[in-house]
Amino acid sequence: MADRKKKRRQADPDSDSESETLPFKKLLKPDSTILSSLKALATASSTAGTSSAANPVTLSSLSLSDTCREVTDLPLSSVQSHIETLALSLAKSILAGNGFSFSVPSRSSANQLYVPELDRIVLKHKASLRPYANVTTVRKTTITTRIMQLIHQLCLKNIHVTKRDLFYTDVKLFQDQTQSDAVLDDVSTILGCTRSSLNVVAAEKGVVVGRLVFSDNGDMIDCTKMGMGGKAIPPNIDRVGDMQSDALFILLVEKDAAYMRLAEDRFYNRFPCIIVTAKGQPDVATRLFLRKMKLELKLPVLALVDSDPYGLKILSVYGCGSKNMSYDSANLTTPDIKWLGIRPSDLDKYKIPEQCRLPMTEQDIKTGKDLLEEDFVKKNPGWVEELNIMVKSKQKAEIQALSSFGFQYLSEVYLPLKLQQKDWL
Amino acid sequence: MEMESSESPIQTTKGAAAKSKAPRKPKQTTSVLKQKSPAEFFSENKSIAGFDNPGKCLYTTVREFVENALDSAESISELPVVEITIEEIGKSKYNSMIGLADRERVDEELYDDFETAKAREKRLAKEARIQENQAKLAALGKKLKEPTSAKAIKGRAQASFYRVTCKDNGRGMPHDDIPNMFGRVLSGTKYGLKQTRGKFGLGAKMALIWSKMSTGLPIEISSSMKGQNYLSFCRLDIDINRNIPHIHLHEKRDLKEHWHGAEIQIVIAGNWTTYRSKILHYMRQLAVITPYAQFLFNFVSDASDKNVSIRFSRRTDIMPAVPLETKFHPSAVDLLLIKRLITETSKQNLLQFLQHEFVNIGRAFAERLIGEMGPDFSPKMPVKSLTSQQIVRIHQLFRQAKFDDPSGDCLSPAGEYNLRLGIIKELHPEMVATYSGSAQVFEGHPFIVEAGVSVGGKDVKQGLNVFRFANRIPLLFEQGADVVTRTAMKRINWNSYKINHTQDKIGVFVSIVSTKIPFKGTGKEYIGDDISEIASAVKTSIQQCCIQLKSKIAKKIQAREQQERKRNLSRYIPDASGAIYDVLKEMTTLHASKKKRYNDEDAELLNKVSSKLITKGTLMEKLAEHVEQVDYEMALEYATHRGVTDEPRENLFIQSLRDENKFTDFQSPVFVFRLFQ
Repeated sequence: MADRKKKRRQADPDSDSESETLPFKKLLKPDSTILSSLKALATASSTAGTSSAANPVTLSSLSLSDTCREVTDLPLSSVQSHIETLALSLAKSILAGNGFSFSVPSRSSANQLYVPELDRIVLKHKASLRPYANVTTVRKTTITTRIMQLIHQLCLKNIHVTKRDLFYTDVKLFQDQTQSDAVLDDVSTILGCTRSSLNVVAAEKGVVVGRLVFSDNGDMIDCTKMGMGGKAIPPNIDRVGDMQSDALFILLVEKDAAYMRLAEDRFYNRFPCIIVTAKGQPDVATRLFLRKMKLELKLPVLALVDSDPYGLKILSVYGCGSKNMSYDSANLTTPDIKWLGIRPSDLDKYKIPEQCRLPMTEQDIKTGKDLLEEDFVKKNPGWVEELNIMVKSKQKAEIQALSSFGFQYLSEVYLPLKLQQKDWL
Repeated sequence: MEMESSESPIQTTKGAAAKSKAPRKPKQTTSVLKQKSPAEFFSENKSIAGFDNPGKCLYTTVREFVENALDSAESISELPVVEITIEEIGKSKYNSMIGLADRERVDEELYDDFETAKAREKRLAKEARIQENQAKLAALGKKLKEPTSAKAIKGRAQASFYRVTCKDNGRGMPHDDIPNMFGRVLSGTKYGLKQTRGKFGLGAKMALIWSKMSTGLPIEISSSMKGQNYLSFCRLDIDINRNIPHIHLHEKRDLKEHWHGAEIQIVIAGNWTTYRSKILHYMRQLAVITPYAQFLFNFVSDASDKNVSIRFSRRTDIMPAVPLETKFHPSAVDLLLIKRLITETSKQNLLQFLQHEFVNIGRAFAERLIGEMGPDFSPKMPVKSLTSQQIVRIHQLFRQAKFDDPSGDCLSPAGEYNLRLGIIKELHPEMVATYSGSAQVFEGHPFIVEAGVSVGGKDVKQGLNVFRFANRIPLLFEQGADVVTRTAMKRINWNSYKINHTQDKIGVFVSIVSTKIPFKGTGKEYIGDDISEIASAVKTSIQQCCIQLKSKIAKKIQAREQQERKRNLSRYIPDASGAIYDVLKEMTTLHASKKKRYNDEDAELLNKVSSKLITKGTLMEKLAEHVEQVDYEMALEYATHRGVTDEPRENLFIQSLRDENKFTDFQSPVFVFRLFQ
């Protein structure tokens, strides 16, 4: 209580002296000062990037007690030959009268392992046998065979299809897209390659705008000239290349609404940056794109997510991978993402009015407490502290809560101030 | 309170028809204070006895008659045969019955259902529109919906009349007692405690009051007792204000056939359309819980397509024992009851009173109790001399002292054997399991819970079908709040018994018998969910049934898997082998163009593919062989596991034997062993 009073007293002179309605605006220093601090961050990030790239830690170099599994990006030809070798062995097994079966690495949570040295989730060695001649697995085995054959076709023709396309090639057998999608991930793990190397992509979901130029399938794209909507992130990352940018950082936004605000206000012109959003839970393409940007441009990544457990969860998916795609975590995760906002401590610091804060539901609190047990949160003491504040105060707020000070508060005051104070974790 | 106290004496009047009755002395009206006769009270509050509206009245009349008939037959250990007929009577027929000439309407506008010119215009326009639509549909060759016959405009005068006749093969009634048995409400003398069927003990009397209120026609009773060579016939109604029978005709007639029992006929207002399903459900459920009875139900009306005739035939000739009358348990009595017991006891002193008027108080225990009561009490003190204060003291001690639980011996549950047969007979389920719990106690009254769970069957809806029985009569109304419904819906985890409670046709049957069923609400239609003793007993019983079913269901699933395994495994052979073959095929073209190198073994295989030595057919064939082999192995394993080979089963029916055979019965709750001599 006392703390709050003090803050109010501090803020009072502001509102008295100025008729300016946006709180904290007075605190802002000229943009040039903020820019210089950002430059420092960018250089630090690029040098750190080079040093870590010098001696990259790989799974094999860690010599873990459990033998772990991860997949790699394979060129089409080797995917093709993998499938062919498998097909030959299956055919031989059938001809020998033994039926056939697949050995599918288990993707269940019991078979997942968080490796702190890598800051990623990887799969352990457990695998399950999927024989044809068993009532419970016969369907899945058949679907696996069929998907494999379809991917073989893709390899021969060297084209990309979406998951939906794949499903429609044999609706009668697959029955339901979730079935073909799940088996697709199984096939990735069986072949030991990433899903994108199977030439199967998900529909476009993420968008990017800002100081970035890259080539998409040979066409040069300037993301400052993409209008308000930005450029849709291409589903297959292998046709993206030649990334160039004069940005100082990458701003990762959880929500479409906040993204729109920043794009319309041309935030990236005031502070050179690249703004990316996946509109909620990130898809594979957006994660790949972010990783590629981070690695090629060596820019720091700042995240703007809701102040609730799901915001942090989304952050974690970018940072260390989702459980579902953990086999592919090496290629999908972007290390070293900074949590810029909105953090639980910001609620009081920026005096978000009570009516804009929401009480956390039972489920929210449970998720929050579960997150506190997660390794990726634990390794960052700042995050643990913030999460503790959230669980204790039992309050959450969305990015839109800042709109209570005016629609442009986010781009005009909140973000510049945050950047000026180097307030990221 | 008046209801409570006046209720217990009449509860036992049913079936004890032979006992003579001492009519209650009419109350003297000495002041301006008006007094109501019991008959008046019930005519004004008929809904508490289940006579809410014409439809419900018809239903309640039927069930009161049927339950009386069952009680009567069971009291002389006769397998009940009950015939119930509902005959619809049109308005003009009714008028002629009461001698009222039909009158044509003269002043049309006087009536409620008069159609004004404007309304008629509207209606005609609507009908024209409907016809137009139908013509259109017909032109399009679409199937016509049954033209919804312009619904008869229902006026208040539309209530129909029904003659309800119920004939049984019971004890019958003594000639002279008949008027009092029907024409006097609350006319019992016998007090006591036993499991009774009746909901209110009002029996046919409420029906008579209702007939008096709605049609004004008298009730007709024919009765004959065993060994009587005449038929008693009585036509009477009731003087509601004075609560005495008003006899039209009371005579002895010649007995034309060899028959004992009673036949009661009454004409009441009712509503068959809305309560048709309720009445039929009631009959069906009664047939479930009373498989030793034969019911014949008829509905007769002018429109022959609406007529209903159902026979619920007898499936067993084992009847549950007649419930015994028992004494009160000390923890179940209230002050008023103690006072009444004191007035009515034949015992002289307190010791004898305690010892003989209650269960579970032995001589030694009675002495201990009297010692505990205080210095004002002594074993030898005359019981009639107890003061009100002393009675309160006794009551307090009864509440606090610890008594043994009453035994369930006085109860007469349906029995697992009969419950099972009843369920099988009426529902023809695929599987059924029954369970009978041991007697438990709630507030000094013993109760027994029996349960049955069935899966599948004819005329059973998908999901849970709950059948509730209290003292061996079905409960149909206010299902939602009932302990059985709640337990079945919320507290049983059906999935863990491999039962799908939304897809499978599940019948849940719970029968509770007690000397006092703790009904909730005025209608006595459901048992509250707040009594933990009953709730847990119900839950255990249902679970026990489910456990029995689980193994059966598991075996069935296994057997089905056996049958379908080969089909399921074979179904995907073309898809799987086709996919593999396609990959091989593509490889052969690559191989032929020397784009890729393979080792010898693989190259040989690919060569065979390209030279059509190996085709999709080959793969399919080999895979099918493998499936065949796996299927054979698993079938063998299944057979060794089961240990028995399934031979085709045949239903076997055992004919019932003639009555003349002499035999000795060895009864058990689950079966009856009968030794013929």
